[in-house]
Amino acid sequence: MSSSAFLTEPIVAWRLWHVRRHDDVHRLESFTWHHVSWPAGTRFEAECSTHGVAAPVEGHECGIYAFKTRELAEDLLRRYTGVRQHYGRPNQELPPLRQGCPIAIGRVSLWGRILARENGFRAQYAYPYELFLIGGEDTLARELRGLYAVDVWPS
Amino acid sequence: MDIGAPDTEHEIEIAPLDEPVPAPAPAPAKEPAQEPIPA
Repeated sequence: MSSSAFLTEPIVAWRLWHVRRHDDVHRLESFTWHHVSWPAGTRFEAECSTHGVAAPVEGHECGIYAFKTRELAEDLLRRYTGVRQHYGRPNQELPPLRQGCPIAIGRVSLWGRILARENGFRAQYAYPYELFLIGGEDTLARELRGLYAVDVWPS
Repeated sequence: MDIGAPDTEHEIEIAPLDEPVPAPAPAPAKEPAQEPIPA
């Protein structure tokens, strides 16, 4: 890598979260790393078992992941739920989820050191920007809105 | 999460003037125990 670009505006990208209850409150939880909950009111910081807080590191896979588009995040959701696209006929409908296992798709602010690829990013710091619940009702949306202080839209 | 081929990777450094972390919503105001008495 020869040079870095220096910017002051966070990147806003797309990702998925599980929504799971921790003690008495529902929290966002990383989609592919289970039981890693996102803090409310403070940034989520990347941490790597090899590189510690130096994550993300070039040549490794550490960091906070996000996609460039909503479509790419929805593709991951379809793969996760096992709903395949028919050849030549992309299935645009998102699949139903297991009862009681809500998922959030949404935009996320990224900043700090970021490694950008063709379809997305690995970032040092992140915080949710706006959430759309899949399998979550008004009550859960209100709870997450109050906790993370961002817009949350129910299913 | 497949964000693309590693050989497409390039580094960006973002240092926002203010971190994009919203302040928590203020707690609802409590009702006064007594009606204010006009002076």
